[in-house]
Amino acid sequence: MDAVISGLATGFGVALDPFNLFLVLAGCFLGTLIGALPGLGPINGVAILLPIAYGLGFGPESALILLAGIYYGAEYGGRISSILLNVPGDASAVMTTLDGNPMARGGDAGRALSLSAIASFVGGTFAVILLSLFAPLLASFAVTFSPADYVALMVFAFASLASLVGRSTVKTLLGAVIGLMLATIGIDANTGVPRFTFGIPDILAGIDFLIVVVGLFGMAELLTLVEQQVSGKLKSLPVDKSFVKMADLVKCKWTIVRSSIIGFFIGILPGTGASVASAVAYGTEKRINDDEKTFGTGDVRGLAAPEAANNAAAGGAMVPMLTLGIPGSGTTAILLGALLMFNIQPGPMMFTQRPEVAWGLIASMYIGNVALLVINLPLVGLFARMLTIPQHYLTPLIAILAFIGIYTIVGNPFDLLLITGLGVFGWFLRKLDFSLAPVILGFVLGSLFENNLRRALSISGGDWSILVQDYKSVTLYVLAVLVVIAPIWLARRARRMEGDATSRG
Amino acid sequence: MVDRIFAGVLLIVTLAYAVIAFTAISAPFQYDPLGPESWPQILSVVAIACLLVILWKPDAIKMNVARQTWFRLAATVVMLAAYSELYEPLGFILSTILFGTALSAMLGAGILRSVIFGVAAGVGGYLFCVTLLDLNLPFGELVEWLFEPSSTEGAS
Repeated sequence: MDAVISGLATGFGVALDPFNLFLVLAGCFLGTLIGALPGLGPINGVAILLPIAYGLGFGPESALILLAGIYYGAEYGGRISSILLNVPGDASAVMTTLDGNPMARGGDAGRALSLSAIASFVGGTFAVILLSLFAPLLASFAVTFSPADYVALMVFAFASLASLVGRSTVKTLLGAVIGLMLATIGIDANTGVPRFTFGIPDILAGIDFLIVVVGLFGMAELLTLVEQQVSGKLKSLPVDKSFVKMADLVKCKWTIVRSSIIGFFIGILPGTGASVASAVAYGTEKRINDDEKTFGTGDVRGLAAPEAANNAAAGGAMVPMLTLGIPGSGTTAILLGALLMFNIQPGPMMFTQRPEVAWGLIASMYIGNVALLVINLPLVGLFARMLTIPQHYLTPLIAILAFIGIYTIVGNPFDLLLITGLGVFGWFLRKLDFSLAPVILGFVLGSLFENNLRRALSISGGDWSILVQDYKSVTLYVLAVLVVIAPIWLARRARRMEGDATSRG
Repeated sequence: MVDRIFAGVLLIVTLAYAVIAFTAISAPFQYDPLGPESWPQILSVVAIACLLVILWKPDAIKMNVARQTWFRLAATVVMLAAYSELYEPLGFILSTILFGTALSAMLGAGILRSVIFGVAAGVGGYLFCVTLLDLNLPFGELVEWLFEPSSTEGAS
């Protein structure tokens, strides 16, 4: 407990520095703007702005605070386009449209927006509090992890990724392997042997993380926008003066609490981010509360549940990223890559070696949550204006931002072609129902996975049985098997029960 | 069908990757029992297994992209490629004006509005990034030559 308090004190010392405070606010504001843009989710926003944030030459904690603010703000902003336009910015906002949009259509747009802001705030704050309690504990436990345990942890992360993310398990797994394969390009750090470089000097050090991120997320998103571009503007519903009522809050108080808990713990699971959390929270609330069949027609609880879960998961996803060095979602994978760019290895040692970064980030999340609530309640009308930006200006703007970002960091026009190429590849992947988050997770984790495997086998002198000697790794393998089998088993059981019901009825 | 084509292309790439991993990569001397080649070998085996499953049971049948959309996408990619090629020679301002105008015009903004947008993005973006954020953007060899022909000649 002492560690938590002194850590928080360090963290607030960093985060309350006037410049960092300004960055938190700027990040939250920018993030909300980006999140509010139709079709642009948090992951794309962070991906496009990451190189620019890096190019500004701030210290690691400042840059990270800015990025986390953008990430957080974008999670908030996503609900605006979901509610007013019925266009979710990313997968995690899909559930918000189910009840949020009917409320807005029923003339309660202001009420829906303010309620979701409060639900997000509670979910987010709840997650940060748990994060600051859990993270040091988990970090001190994770210090005892051996390389073999790390291998087991990775297997678990990829297993939960494959079973919970995306529509097809095989495709998600393949996506992760593609990411891992991309990470093997370049000089092998242990032996100095070049791998898959074909003598091209530009990629001896490996493919730049920024190029992969901006290409796969920014540029692929741009092509998707071009593809889906509909003639005629999207109709945005007006924001009225209605505001959340006390009765609404009372009605969904337990919904918010339950959803925050669900969101946080699903967010912790490596590989699964906000999209799974909001879906599970919505499903749970529907099962518990939907007596009058009001869910899906503008029920306040149906709006509060995914919003609280979504933001709680955004905080929860930070736990494995900060303590184990294994990101809990695609966006935290990008933040992890950002840390690596600053030569900070996230993981159990970060809390002792770079406390100002770890705790500064956590403290900035407290401030960010409050800031977002304050920014969002009065300024929601301004953000809603963003929705009316026509797509034909937005799309070129994304490309221009991405180019600025990549050029200022790498300064090589060849890389601009490379991000275009990766964008085309990413667009095809998306089009064929691959999700892109596993690719980036695989790419970020590639060297960590390989090095731990090699280290483990070096310790044992090539004996593979070292991988299953420790109780920690065995437990993780069991969990990995469970996380793959459980959804299949549950689905089969649900189908059987449905079959029973129809045959009886 | 599309799934199969895509998986087929990836399979060829992966097979090439596997061949390199199994034959070409080896360390002259190594301390760890796995060496640089084992990890890519494991990955290639897993990837090939996944690809064979997709080839066996594809689930995306059609791309659902209209022919017109294909043209628009192809045009966008061409514009992006041209933008990246011209980025340094023309400089940020000129290339952005061209790219912004062309893309927004293709996506349905009026000609005049696209030009205004392009100029605003090019000039505004340059001033904002270079003077305010202190980022490094190409001023452009051509523009430099136009403005100060003597100095570039002197330099070269």
